[in-house]
Amino acid sequence: MLLIVYEMKKNWWKIVAVIFLLYTIIAGFLFKVPAQPILHETIRNLYFHVPMWFAMMTILFVSVWYSIKYLGGSNPESDIMATQAAHTGMLLGTLGIITGSIWARYTWGAWWVADTKLNGAAITMLIYLAYFVLRGSIDEEQKRARIAAVYNIFAYVMLIIFLMILPRMNDSLHPGNGGNPGFNKYDLDSNMRMVFYPAVIGWILLAVWIFTLRVRIEKIKQKTLIND
Amino acid sequence: MINTLKNTIVFIFITLSASVFAQTEPEKGTGSTEAVAAVQNNAPPVEMADSLAQSGKIYVVVTVLSVIFIGIIVYLISIDRKISKLEKEEKK
Repeated sequence: MLLIVYEMKKNWWKIVAVIFLLYTIIAGFLFKVPAQPILHETIRNLYFHVPMWFAMMTILFVSVWYSIKYLGGSNPESDIMATQAAHTGMLLGTLGIITGSIWARYTWGAWWVADTKLNGAAITMLIYLAYFVLRGSIDEEQKRARIAAVYNIFAYVMLIIFLMILPRMNDSLHPGNGGNPGFNKYDLDSNMRMVFYPAVIGWILLAVWIFTLRVRIEKIKQKTLIND
Repeated sequence: MINTLKNTIVFIFITLSASVFAQTEPEKGTGSTEAVAAVQNNAPPVEMADSLAQSGKIYVVVTVLSVIFIGIIVYLISIDRKISKLEKEEKK
């Protein structure tokens, strides 16, 4: 009995993630949304496409956090955390770009536009891809972890620049940039907020869940390598 | 270590989610799918997929998505369990 209770104590947040996401799916389609020209019903994408990026930014922040931690103490566990967080961030970024492209095709009329945020997102993905190429090119563990950690810090700074700073400075079709009302002033009425906030939390928690699974697998892998 | 970080993130976002209940200025037409602004400007109301909702077919969409989502979650849980087993074996 105690074991079950202990399991719940560790894993309650996973249940929160599932509940919030189930709520997002159900309420996302059944609740009323504001009727906007161009967007029509696709405004519901807000509950799915946008949280991908929120989750990605959270997870990549976790990644750079552990990279900095590694540089402070050379603990191999920090390196594992940083790497797996970067992996998970890549998954989220890929999904974000694909869903964004689909959304763009049916609202802006093209799969891709020469837009600051879009190009910035693509470049950011390439920067993090290069992180893995870098890791793969160094054999020695501590050296690899150290160099990768330094690179991660630069990568995260670039992410902030490309996703948060530059888009606000340029013209854009993207809501929230270039003088368009963002999804926080006119369009995000209280009806949408009720689904959007739990959605963001749910997707972030799901991303963290996937991240923890990856970390645990990697730790087991490394232990078996040592034991053999 | 990972526990405290995770708990911090969760705490922050659950706190932020409290703003769901924040009072906003009363909006006209909240809860209706009519584009009130458009109507006020004497423009034709923005069309939405109300027919899908009226015919009840929207529930098919919701059910399908829920099934897919639950399926993926069950898969995720099974992976989680397998890893837990491996970790317990490793401890011995």
